[in-house]
Amino acid sequence: MTTLASPSVAVGGARWVRSLRRNLPGYLFLLPWLLGFLGLTLVPALGSLYLSFTEFDLLRDPRWVGAANYVRIATDDPKFVASLYVTFVYVALSVPLKLALALAVAMLLNKGIAGLPLYRAVFYLPSLLGASVAIAVLWRQLFAGNGLVNQVVFLLFGVQGPSWISDPDYTLYTLVVLSVWQFGSPMIIFLAGLRQIPQDIYEAAQIDGASKVRQFFRITLPMLTPVIFFNAVVKTIDAFKAFTPAYIISEGTGGPIDSTLFYTLYLYQEAFAYFRMGYASALAWILLVIIAFFTAFSFLSSRYWVHYDD
Amino acid sequence: MKQPQMNRRSVLKAGAGLAGLAALGLPASAFAQERRLRMYWWGSKERADRTLQVNKLYQNTYTGVAIDGETLAWGDYWPRLATQTAGRNAPDVIQMDYRYIAEYARRGALLPLDPHVGKGLDLKDFPPSVVDSGKVDGKIYGISLGGNTSSTIYDKDAFAAVGLPPPNLDTDWKAFAKLMAEFTKAAKRPGYFGSQDGGGLEPIFEGWLRTRGQELYTPDNKLGFGEKDIEEWFAYWADMRASGGCVTPELQALDKQNVENNMLTLGKAAIGFAHSNQLVAFQSLNKSKLAMTSYPTGGPGAKPGQYIKPSMLFSLSARTKEVDEAVRVLNFFVNDVTAGKILGVERGVPASAPVLKGIAESLDDLGRAMADYIAAMNSRVGPLPQTPPGGAGEIQVLLRRVNEQIGFDRLKVADGAKLFVSEASRILARG
Repeated sequence: MTTLASPSVAVGGARWVRSLRRNLPGYLFLLPWLLGFLGLTLVPALGSLYLSFTEFDLLRDPRWVGAANYVRIATDDPKFVASLYVTFVYVALSVPLKLALALAVAMLLNKGIAGLPLYRAVFYLPSLLGASVAIAVLWRQLFAGNGLVNQVVFLLFGVQGPSWISDPDYTLYTLVVLSVWQFGSPMIIFLAGLRQIPQDIYEAAQIDGASKVRQFFRITLPMLTPVIFFNAVVKTIDAFKAFTPAYIISEGTGGPIDSTLFYTLYLYQEAFAYFRMGYASALAWILLVIIAFFTAFSFLSSRYWVHYDD
Repeated sequence: MKQPQMNRRSVLKAGAGLAGLAALGLPASAFAQERRLRMYWWGSKERADRTLQVNKLYQNTYTGVAIDGETLAWGDYWPRLATQTAGRNAPDVIQMDYRYIAEYARRGALLPLDPHVGKGLDLKDFPPSVVDSGKVDGKIYGISLGGNTSSTIYDKDAFAAVGLPPPNLDTDWKAFAKLMAEFTKAAKRPGYFGSQDGGGLEPIFEGWLRTRGQELYTPDNKLGFGEKDIEEWFAYWADMRASGGCVTPELQALDKQNVENNMLTLGKAAIGFAHSNQLVAFQSLNKSKLAMTSYPTGGPGAKPGQYIKPSMLFSLSARTKEVDEAVRVLNFFVNDVTAGKILGVERGVPASAPVLKGIAESLDDLGRAMADYIAAMNSRVGPLPQTPPGGAGEIQVLLRRVNEQIGFDRLKVADGAKLFVSEASRILARG
């Protein structure tokens, strides 16, 4: 061996080729995903970055306008501000409420009741259907002025409820309720997390006389923080990207009076109703930065409240 | 464990497999012998049924070409057409709207039809004004599939039940408001009103403006009216809401400007505003008998507010490979009497007098009512307005939003008018 020159110096290229040859089957198996990622995600995303610096109406070629789109968004677009506000309210309300409900149901289901798989499936069902058009349409029927919800309200309280989906004071909250109702996937993850907490900790606490409430705040919550963290990040990103419910319930208008004008809906209108693809691309990149900011903030703050047991 | 080995043979095998997959994935049309045309239109199921039937008739008459139909609702139609056009994959025969034809034609997406007139495309029975309605910058880019005008569609049974006369061609705006308030009182049904709220609907606003001799837009693409004018308009509907003549804002917010969610169809009002050709679709969704009349007028001596426009046009893609076939299909739709009988007046009243005469016998009551209405309106309409400027679509949405803001008490009428004019001017400046 010592008589040979170091192969890494003398035939570096060959080594690269050899390594590629060895790993080729792996890459080949990866290819379908890789092609999808490159062709459907990365390249279009970079394309939209380019378009965000242009004026592009689909029919004519894109025209370079520099940062004009971004300048306009920052200085001269009340709809951008309005849609951002609607989206923030939606995220701030729907994510904590959804996680709280998911955790509550997960704790109920964690008690080892009979028929658990059935309950789990039933509670998970809304999440499977949640983003679908059919559910949003159903929601429209339920929450209309003379829909089922108001009929129940009338029976119980004898008052005529408002029109939940056409009165601008209520529409956004109706969408929050729709989102909270789809608590299935965080619930399943919470359930798995609860199963991971060693029972002996609870037993020890019980012997020491800790109440159930105290056990929840001192054992369950801290032990669950990694799961809460995961759910919070994923659901926050989802909530920022929510589109279908608002689109269906307002039929794409974001109305009444822009009360359901989610950021994504505004972006969609700019792109596909007014054919300002460049401007819409700039809006999309700003949304990306906002989501990245919140995710980074979650990760940075996590070291202060997320406990990973060693 | 044995590492997976790649050699020439296995690569070849994988390649053959991929090729097989690719072959499976190819559209069948690549192997089909016959030539194909793609036709694309928006509209209801009623329209789809009739259109597909005509296409079948065409294929039986002229063999050698197959027509693939594609249809979507209005809202989804335009994004897809724009995307396909941008992808150099536009359908051959495109249903076009007066609002969009100039944009598509000026960007080179449509085929100028002038060279085919008299050679495959017969327009001798078309009134010159109808031919002109498909022109952009002096060239023909679209052929009208039927004429329509705005209309007030009302529930005949409901008016009979309360014993009030429905509005007619001479009802002016003042009388209309009075009638609606009386109707709501007489109907005595909670949640049921005389009229829908028309304050946020551009066509009605335009009709009202034109009776005053104004237009939505000036020829140099500015607003054709002032703050005082639109203030008067918003006030008219605010009064209407106050008197109970039209539906509440919560109800009107359910109206998504389609037939299915119109206040009339939802059973909230006895009157809805629509394009005249939509009477067919309205009647198919409503149990009680419907009839139509014009928008309220400006009263004696006022200018006519309405106009007859092509309800929709057929255009050809500039990239179509089968120009002669596509022209023949187009000609078949507008000149063939048998095709005309199938199409009826669902897309509007045919422009060609011989076709209209040929199909008159086969029209049902509804179709006849519509043809009669258009005939009666012929002497009461003004000229076609200019094609709307860029941003007009956004201003349409703005009108609706400001009317909602006033309806839901977020804005005073005067502030609403001010807001509308300033935002609309901004939109127009951006284009």
